Amino acid sequence: MTKSKEKMIQMYMTMYRIRQFESKLQEFFADGKIPGFVHLYLGEEAVASGTCAALRKDDYITSTHRGHGHVIAKGGDLKMMMAEIFGKSTGYCKGKGGSMHIADASLGILGANGIVGGGGPIAAGAGMAIQYRGEDGVVVCFFGDGASNQGTTQEALNLASAWELPVVFVNENNGYGISCPTSKSMAITDIADRAAGYDMPGVIVDGNDVIAVNEAVSAAVERARKGGGPSLIECKTYRWRGHFEGDACTYREKSELDEWVKKDPLPRFSKKLLDDGILSKKELEKLHAKIDTELQEAIAFAEESPLPEPADIFEDVYA
Amino acid sequence: MITVGIIANPISGKDIRRLVAHGSVFDNQEKVRIVRRLLVGLAWAGVKRVIFMPDYYAIVQRAHKGIDTPIDIESAPMCAENTQDDSTKAARLMAEAGVSCIFVLGGDGTSRAVAKGKAKIPILPISTGTNNVFPFMIEATIAGLAGGIIASGQISLEDGCFRSPSIEILDEEDSVFDIALVDAAVHTDTFIGSKAIWSLDQVSQIFLTRCRPDSIGLSAIGGQLHTINPEDQQGLHLLLGEGEKRVTAPIAPGLMQTVAVAGEARLQPGDTIFINESPCIIALDGEREVEVRRGKHVSIRFSSDGPLVVDVPKVMTLAQQAKLLVQ
Repeated sequence: MTKSKEKMIQMYMTMYRIRQFESKLQEFFADGKIPGFVHLYLGEEAVASGTCAALRKDDYITSTHRGHGHVIAKGGDLKMMMAEIFGKSTGYCKGKGGSMHIADASLGILGANGIVGGGGPIAAGAGMAIQYRGEDGVVVCFFGDGASNQGTTQEALNLASAWELPVVFVNENNGYGISCPTSKSMAITDIADRAAGYDMPGVIVDGNDVIAVNEAVSAAVERARKGGGPSLIECKTYRWRGHFEGDACTYREKSELDEWVKKDPLPRFSKKLLDDGILSKKELEKLHAKIDTELQEAIAFAEESPLPEPADIFEDVYA
Repeated sequence: MITVGIIANPISGKDIRRLVAHGSVFDNQEKVRIVRRLLVGLAWAGVKRVIFMPDYYAIVQRAHKGIDTPIDIESAPMCAENTQDDSTKAARLMAEAGVSCIFVLGGDGTSRAVAKGKAKIPILPISTGTNNVFPFMIEATIAGLAGGIIASGQISLEDGCFRSPSIEILDEEDSVFDIALVDAAVHTDTFIGSKAIWSLDQVSQIFLTRCRPDSIGLSAIGGQLHTINPEDQQGLHLLLGEGEKRVTAPIAPGLMQTVAVAGEARLQPGDTIFINESPCIIALDGEREVEVRRGKHVSIRFSSDGPLVVDVPKVMTLAQQAKLLVQ
């Protein structure tokens, strides 16, 4: 249960990096600086950070349409991410994919995904590849409450269990699929309850507590690495912003958001790090400044990078 | 009108012990079915009204919807915040509303949260959690009958209930700020995280209100050394660490561990032990709950003044003798 000081600081830095990255995107979208849609991860930082801190570099993740946090937590390059979201040729997909298609195979990031529930089959496939090669890697499949109602997700859960694949299904239950509350789209409330139907362990954790997430995912990863098969971890959390930037959120009360903002995972964890003497206030400020600088560099890189050339439009087209 | 309370915890039976041990996933649909059976028993005992704790799954409302019953249900006047404080608050509100018995669906942790409400009325805990030492593994229809018989006064509290001891956690001013019903443990970690304890490597002391050789959880360690029943009004304090004894026990479902015991002492009501370790975490009924910051200290006191609990086998035996269900 004990975590090293370095690991705790790393998890906090990841959360802060995501928070700052997403806050900047919120600003840029409002200013009309970025094309396409963005789905922000604000409020859910503890899930990606706690999860990816339990993984090795050669482990895999599959992500969602709300994928920036996952990619950052798995080590994604901020410059290439920002450039991609700006639609620049130096981005991860040469500016042609945008927010929902960022991938980095060298880091095991099998891609954000514009299809709700699209990550499950990819995760099962990657798990099968690991098993086929006789390796000890693990795949984490991030998916939301909306995706949990998709056939693709249920098929992936079934196959992963039937074939004992090393996949950890990390559900981010933020209470809404687009504008639809889970109370209107699900007969039950706890996605973890579905695990029993696939003969795998299902647990619920406080998705705004990075340590709780990390402990549960670490246990599931260890189990999967040893050949114990898949598990399902439901992280109860909340997205602070609308489904996408520009969503007026008329389907939920502001008081609901206010309650969740009180459970903000960042000050909750930074207070603990300060109280326990793991970090001093000065050290914390220094870490913030370091990440702020990284982000400024990423923004400058994106802004200064060229747009793709019209002549490149048919390059990298596979189908 | 005979009124009882129902506190059904939607989150019980779903913690990390499904991963680090072999705990069952206790889904909420099963809790709904348990409440339905409970309502059948209650109706037979003459209960007319149930005040329930609101929860995000709407366990009691779903149960009530699926059954033909003369019992009316009503929510306690509170908003669910989906924390364990809901159970504590609900117990207090139910007591204020005049219920005669509170049924609790959960594990040791849920029963503890209800007992923190300090209600003077009896509770009947039904197991739907992970480590279930305090709640009863019992068919809910029987629980409904027994609790209903107590609530309706057909058998007195004196005859049909027992007073459970508890463990009180005291701050530096000797004020009680938390309790445990079965066990308290001193843990050298500093994070609460996913709460459960599944390794004894960092546990230095254990306090027990009861222990039996057939127990599960931390009380199973004491249970391999002694048998202490709740009515004995005695506790046990174990110091872990190198010593003559090594004890193997099931500390969670499907999880056996061996631990060295350096010393032990019986506890009498009022006995108070100062915890010298700081910082540390105090785990209550198997869950990391209390953070003791560096330089701060707590004490642990064995108390005979825990919750009043319905003794189901005794109530049903007395009901049999009084021919309550024989026409």
